[in-house]
Parts: sequence; C-alpha cells; structure tokens
Amino acid sequence: MTDSRTRFDAHLSEEERHGLADDSLTPERRADVERHVADCADCAVDVARLHSLMTRLETRLKQRPDTPPAELDALWPGIRSRIERGKVVSLEAESPARRARSRARMAALMAGVAAAVVLAFTLGRRSRSLVDDVVIPGISTTPVVSIADSSRAYQEEVQALLEELELRRSMLRPATAATVDRDLRIIDGAIDELTDALAHDPNNPALRQLLAASYRQKRDLLKQVDNAS
Amino acid sequence: MPHDGRKTWARLGYRHAIAFVLGVATTGTASAQLPVLRARALDATAAVKIFNPAGSIRLVGWDRDSIVVRGRVASGERFFFSGSANGVKLGIEDTATGADSRPSELVIYLPRASQISAKSASANITGTDVSGWFYSVTGSIRLAGSATTIEAETMDGNIDLNVGVPWVRARTGNGSLTLRRPVADADLATIAGALNVATASVRRGRFSSVTGDIRMVGAPPPDALLELSNHDGSVDLLLPRNAAGLFDLSTVGGTIENAFAGTRPAARDAMQNRALRVQLGFGGAHVTVRTFRGVIRLRSP
Repeated sequence: MTDSRTRFDAHLSEEERHGLADDSLTPERRADVERHVADCADCAVDVARLHSLMTRLETRLKQRPDTPPAELDALWPGIRSRIERGKVVSLEAESPARRARSRARMAALMAGVAAAVVLAFTLGRRSRSLVDDVVIPGISTTPVVSIADSSRAYQEEVQALLEELELRRSMLRPATAATVDRDLRIIDGAIDELTDALAHDPNNPALRQLLAASYRQKRDLLKQVDNAS
Repeated sequence: MPHDGRKTWARLGYRHAIAFVLGVATTGTASAQLPVLRARALDATAAVKIFNPAGSIRLVGWDRDSIVVRGRVASGERFFFSGSANGVKLGIEDTATGADSRPSELVIYLPRASQISAKSASANITGTDVSGWFYSVTGSIRLAGSATTIEAETMDGNIDLNVGVPWVRARTGNGSLTLRRPVADADLATIAGALNVATASVRRGRFSSVTGDIRMVGAPPPDALLELSNHDGSVDLLLPRNAAGLFDLSTVGGTIENAFAGTRPAARDAMQNRALRVQLGFGGAHVTVRTFRGVIRLRSP
C-alpha cells in the first residue's frame, strides 16, 4: 500500500480504479488496491460503477454493433464526469517509473474515452437523416440509462452525506440550516413524485433519468452544506 | 472656598470633556471600518484562499506577479494575511461564536492565472479575469472577463456569469443563474431559481432545475450536445428560424408547445411519457429536454 493511502482521507487514483475495474492491475498491486476497496465505500462504489459502465458498453457493442447513437450519447454524461474528475491533479510525490506508467495508462485511458466519443459522434452523424423540420410525435426518449445517471449510483452517496449533515448541523448558522432544509424539502418532493410515477410506469426511461437528476441535485446540495459549515 | 470650588468644577469639567472625547472616539470606532492595505510578490499560478463572511469581495485579475489587498475591515473583525509566493491565505477571521460578522469590504488584485478559492457567508463576490472556486451561502456571485475554469456555488444568491471560459460549473438554490458568454462545457443547476442560458454557444451542457424555469436563447452550435431537465419548472428554447439540430423533448405530465410546426404530441394517459422529436435544418446538434410537469416550449422570435 502506498504511504499516501494509509491516511483515512486518501482514495484510489483514477488509474487504480480503472485498473481494478478492467482487471489490468498486476497481482501485487491488485491485492493492495483490493485491500483499500474493502475499507473504502467511496472507492468501492466508483469501481463498481466503472466496471458496470465498461461491461455494458462492451456488451452492447458486441451484441449490437449498429447501436443507435442515442444510446451511446446516453453514456456521455458518465464519460464526461470521468474526464471532469480527471481534471483534479494529485499532488503526491511519484517516482519517475511510476509517473511513466501513469502517463502510459492515462494515454491509453484517454484514447479509449476519445474513441468512445468519436464512435458516438460518427454513428450519430451517419444515422441521422438530414430532413428539414421533421416532427415525429410520440417517440420515446433514449431507452438506455447511463450508469452515471442511475439513481442507485447516487443513493448511497446521498445517504452518507445526510448522515454527515446531521453531524454537522450544529455547526451551521440557523439561517443556513433553514435554507438547506427548505431546498431538501423541494428536492425530496420531486423524488417522491418521481418514485410514485415510476411505480406506475417502471419502464419509463424519462422518469428514471429525471429521478437520477433529482438525486444528483440532492447530492450536490448536500456537498454544498459541507462548504457552508 | 470659592476658589477651591472653581478648581473642583474645572477638574470635573476637564474629566467630563476627556470622557466625552473618548466616548465619541470609541463610539466612532465601533461603527467605522478600518482601512487595510497589504501587498506581496506572488507566483503567476499561485493558490489564493480568501474568506470574508459578510460585506463584499472584489477580485481583479492582472498581469503582475503580485497580490495587493485593499479594503475596509469592520471594527471588531480581524483581518489575516499569510503565505508565501506559492500561495496566500487572507480574509476576515470567522467568529468563534457563530454570530453574524460585521460587513468588511475587500478588493484584491492578483495574477489572472492564480487559482482562487473564495468563500463567504453573506458577502457578495464579484470578479474580473479570475479563475477558480467561488462560494457563498447567501451572497451573490458575479464574474466577468475571461477565465480558465469557474466553479460557482451559492445557496440563496444569484449567479451571473459574463465570462469567457472553457469549463464552468455553477449551482444555486433559490437565486437566479445566468450564463451570458460562450462556454465549451457547462454544468448549471438551480433548485428553485430561474436558469437563463443567454448564449447558445455551449458545446456540452447540462442544465437542470427542480422548480425554477429554464430559458435558453439562440441556436446551438452544430456539434453541441445539450441536456436540459426540470421537474416542475418550464423549459423554454428560444431559437432563431434558421436553428438546426435534433431536439428530443419529453414530459411526463406537462405539455409541449412547438412553434416550429403546428403539431402537438399525441396525449396518452396522464402517466404516459409524452415525447416529441424535432429535426430542424441540417445541424448536428443534439438537444434533449425532459420535464416531469413543466411545460416545454420550442419557440422562435
């Protein structure tokens, strides 16, 4: 285990998460990384999400090489969130050898992401008919929900953040706490309505995506509270 | 003796006069702000952390390798400034009791490439040519000029982004959020506030709200990929007649108004998804709009 990861607040690097998800780590490193995942819920959730995303993309392209672009487009939020997270630069000291390996892996990762995006765009452009002002009523939206947009991916994180909020509540100014509670009520109202609607229409992709969007709003609000205290 | 009496009265008068002057001075200090002026050399890309709970923070990016802080600090509040050329922390110390701080005003000139982390409770934050993270609980945030990345968050204040930046992420609760300049990648959200995208030049965008209305004006670029979602609020897309792209619109309990063709989607029962796909012109932009109950309007001027 790297020294930096012995601290409670340290997490796996992007490279390590991808390595574990696509099973490309060396046996020694894998053991080290798996030990961390066993103790760290955040990393475990993220690795599971990555693994699921990769498996799903791979399976879909194998089964249906002519996958419609809309389905690939639906994966874009997940890819983008990975890219955005990659913008955070780790400041931990690295050996030249490790840096070289990191660069190689990152290059491979970026190439993979770029390939997926290019593929999505190429398919999108090829299959989209260039008809002027066509209106097609009643077409349902994207049938595939990206893993990053899945409500389940947010629920655990939201639960952990809610527990933190209760611990932190005494440190919040009363006005701030009232604002947070008001916003949570608005979002929870939306989540309740969407959950009810999904119970009646469980295969409605638009409902699932709206529910995921509401959970994302809730997660982001709870993360904001962290800064307010 | 009359003479001693006069002396006594004179002494008393003198003491009262001193007490009055001190009193005035003390009272005056209590309601006044004290000027502050600090400066030091600073690397062009240094990290700068700023905290001012109440009042205002004004940030100005410049082309010098130095930081200058000017302003007025409320009496009773303590100003701090520390760090090196690699990074600086400055601002007003938070009250240990959690009581509201008195308003202080800080104007900070700093290298335009420095990475800023500015935070306030109720203080408004304004910035020109600055990049980084800007956070306020109830204050507003206004950014202008150009920047490399912007992350702006407030719970109740308004956010106004008149800034040319490749990547922006901003969210507010009850306040309004306005994006005025072209952005490559934008992730904007409100809970109850209005979200206005006054520029269509967003290549990748995610705009969401729960009950606030979302408005987007202008034609998206040919390769744009935009996603707008709302629960109760409406989504208005005001497009020029020559706008091009594929628009996927769907609502669960709301309605879709399409000014580009006289058709409405066939309504089914209340829980069924209502959806409309519109291809305008030959553009490759893909815009997806989803609402639960909010109205979706595809309009042209």
